Amino acid sequence: MYVLQANDIYKSFGQLKVLKGVSLEVKKGEVIAIIGPSGSGKSTLLRCLNRLETIDRGTITITGEYMVKSEKDGRAVYSSEKDITRLRRKMGMVFQNFNLFPHKSVLENLMIAPMLVNQVSADQAEETARNLLDKVGLAQKANNYPFELSGGQQQRVAIARALAMNPDIMCFDEPTSALDPELTGEVLRVMRDLALEHMTMIVVTHEIGFAREVANRVIFMDEGLIVEQGTASEVLLNPQQERTQSFLSTVLMAR
Amino acid sequence: MDYVVSILPQMFLGWLVTMQIFAVTLLSLPLGVILGIARLSKFKPLAWFMECYVWIFRGTPLLLQLLFWYFGLMAVGVRIERETAVYMAFILNYAAYLAEIFRSGIQSIDRGQYEAADVLGLSRRQTMTQIILPQVFKRVLPPIGNEVINLVKDTALVYIIAISELSRVARIRAVTDDTLVPFAIAAVFYLLMTAIVQRFFKWVEARLDYYH
Repeated sequence: MYVLQANDIYKSFGQLKVLKGVSLEVKKGEVIAIIGPSGSGKSTLLRCLNRLETIDRGTITITGEYMVKSEKDGRAVYSSEKDITRLRRKMGMVFQNFNLFPHKSVLENLMIAPMLVNQVSADQAEETARNLLDKVGLAQKANNYPFELSGGQQQRVAIARALAMNPDIMCFDEPTSALDPELTGEVLRVMRDLALEHMTMIVVTHEIGFAREVANRVIFMDEGLIVEQGTASEVLLNPQQERTQSFLSTVLMAR
Repeated sequence: MDYVVSILPQMFLGWLVTMQIFAVTLLSLPLGVILGIARLSKFKPLAWFMECYVWIFRGTPLLLQLLFWYFGLMAVGVRIERETAVYMAFILNYAAYLAEIFRSGIQSIDRGQYEAADVLGLSRRQTMTQIILPQVFKRVLPPIGNEVINLVKDTALVYIIAISELSRVARIRAVTDDTLVPFAIAAVFYLLMTAIVQRFFKWVEARLDYYH
């Protein structure tokens, strides 16, 4: 069964066509890496999947239920706000800039959504939060505030915060792009652990190494379209499309 | 010195009136929060209405607004208590300024905070009250402190509708007794009040200094 299906997604910002008919199906336990040059639409695609952006045309289902579907004339029509809210709860999101709540302690960052949204008791929320912090290696930072943490630590807290809602699928929007190079490793390690636990993941990333090692499927996007997809070795080691080849040679050359 | 002591009770009564206007006008703080949020409403007529409100109440002298609420309404046959007129004028005027401060404070919060709350499933109300406003309060504290200090001094304007607050008492005494001493005493009273306000805001700022 598909955790997520996106079919023929179109999205424009004004005159600028960002997504020009993108389809994506994600099976349970799959780890998908989306790579591509800046402006290729990969982040926008991810943001459309959990309605941080609304799409113009296309269909998105989460665990088989429609979040948005196309009318006969092609226009995208969203489900009721109530249904969307319920469906979005199945998706965790990790941002490039962490977006932790600065006025809340690390522990509170993890507890707030379970308590406010799922009406979990404070005790239970705290227990879950501490377990998750332990899992991302930050148990000793529970009472610190985000500004006291390094970027890598903040991103690990952000991952734990998303996990606290017990999502079916985790979306990562360039999770290491805002980090100093020496801090990316700790974040990627946490993500690799998640993958080993068969968490379903969609990762928009520039980390080719991570994509090669962890992803079941690599998708290369350019100019609002999926140019090529396949296993990591197919796409990264033996790309068929000329655009994929030139992108990879640029990226790999820069290392 | 004896003169000072002799007029102190009267000055003190004036000060009580000043304090009362000051205290009641603090209601404009919560009102300002609500109006600031309304100004950012996606419901265009509301946002537009708020813009007009701010334009009118921030764009005319408080003194004129006082005259309007008292004499203006009286002229069209609506009689309200002098105190009521004062509260109307002050609360609505200060709420306009504060709404602008809160609006800009809300807009200064990074969009990522809304998005993070949104993907975690927080409702708009929860996002506002739990995530956005606590951060806004910290940011707008200095300009709010400014407004509150202005308010301490603006209370003197109500002399125009013959309410005997501190400065009017001083003026009356000065004229009758042919001396400037009452003005000096009034100044001391104002300085004491603003000093307390200043200390209070410093204290709150320190309390909110636990995060950046």
